[in-house]
Amino acid sequence: MSTNTPALRPLAMLVRGEAKMVIRDTAGLVIPVALPLLIMVMNASSASDEEIVGGRTALDIFVLPIVFAIVIATIGIINMPSFLTIYRKTGILRRLAVTPISPMTVLGAQVIVSLVQALLGLAIAFTVAAVAFDARLPIDLVPALGIVALSIAAMYALGMVVAALAPTPNAAIAIGLITFFTIGALGGMFGGPDTLPEVIDRIGAVLPFGAAVDGLSAAWAGEPVPWRCWVSLGATSVLGAGIAAATFRWDR
Amino acid sequence: MTEPAVLVENIRKRYRDTIAVDDVSFRIGHGEVLGVLGTNGAGKSTTVEIIAGLRAPDSGTVRVLGLDPRRDRKAVRHLLGVQLQEARLHDALTVSELVEMYRSFYPDPRPADEVIEMVELGGKRDTRFESLSGGQQQRLSIALALIGRPKVVILDELTTGLDPRARRRIWGAIESLTEETVILVSHAMDEVERLCDRVVLLDAGRVVAEGTPAEVTARAGTSTLEEAFVAITGHDLDSVEDEEDAA
Repeated sequence: MSTNTPALRPLAMLVRGEAKMVIRDTAGLVIPVALPLLIMVMNASSASDEEIVGGRTALDIFVLPIVFAIVIATIGIINMPSFLTIYRKTGILRRLAVTPISPMTVLGAQVIVSLVQALLGLAIAFTVAAVAFDARLPIDLVPALGIVALSIAAMYALGMVVAALAPTPNAAIAIGLITFFTIGALGGMFGGPDTLPEVIDRIGAVLPFGAAVDGLSAAWAGEPVPWRCWVSLGATSVLGAGIAAATFRWDR
Repeated sequence: MTEPAVLVENIRKRYRDTIAVDDVSFRIGHGEVLGVLGTNGAGKSTTVEIIAGLRAPDSGTVRVLGLDPRRDRKAVRHLLGVQLQEARLHDALTVSELVEMYRSFYPDPRPADEVIEMVELGGKRDTRFESLSGGQQQRLSIALALIGRPKVVILDELTTGLDPRARRRIWGAIESLTEETVILVSHAMDEVERLCDRVVLLDAGRVVAEGTPAEVTARAGTSTLEEAFVAITGHDLDSVEDEEDAA
């Protein structure tokens, strides 16, 4: 009956199923979409008055990069591992493992759905910023998109490590939250680098959250993106994917 | 002798210091319903997980329709339908959505309506998995095990924890399978007596009796399979009522 390419139809059906799971779990959408919006709105009105360079305000150069990093990090490090570990614990992954589809299809569907979530979160945040606070696109759009893409890869790789190492769904959420707040705090989520001791600030800047924020910030202002941002995000992606691939368990 | 539908030969599996399966062998003919019986920790679930290719045996051979479940993973998955003990499905999806999702995994699946009617869930199409009763969830699992027109079906703890009415409904669904080879893991003797052509009794990872329910009963010199079980294994049936391999 089904004449479609055998590999694509199951993937499409899994993506549809996963998407419905996410939409029906409304609580899971609050953090990645509402939290960054809240942070933005709290900072936007003052920041949007203060022009820094080339018509870009403090909102564009300092607030939006943090908001973007929060969206990507919460979905990659907290939401995706939470879903995956729940699937492992309840036996959903085991059940899928005895069907003809490959485990990679299952992971692929999961990643696609959370990617859409991340892009939607970013689009919502930017649209609100643009409409309500006159935010503008980065001066260097291509490097900005590159940093977004690489940040997604890095945060998902970290998320996969969380899913691989966490023994239970609760542990995954706990580890995910701790990881997120650690790299977030060190990366400037709760205030500029000036509020942190210099050593810690330097460490934070090479961790993926800080690297994402700094990279976006530079691109927004039209400055060259520091090489350490590319290196940090790239290394996190490769290392994380490697560790996750070596340690991921499909079964309890 | 023609090739059996399922061949299990001298399989062993050890987890750290416990031996779960210790030199187990049996064969299942085409279209036969085999009951795998045993107490808590007797090795039933491990045995069927090895047949399903979810675990590799430390040694021994398994063939499903002549194929190795691990080496020929993909081919075996097309021929095998599995209902796993305590495996849940996507909670927030409805019966119809789950059926459609699992249908997409197979080249020539049964029509959605056919499987849903087979397990009498016609009235629950739009109900989410999490809102189904235990018996209904179990019936849906069976439906999904049958969805790809499997030649061999593994049913692990078919009716554990269900009320008598739900159990009879599930039995009806299994009795309607006439072509398929079925491996039924159970510790419910009435279920096994009613559904199975042959039984294999496992105790501490070994096969301690094998034959038709009548043969096993006669050889043990008892009048029911339940008594035969106690006579052979020395275990009281109360200890059997626990979940197997709960850890």
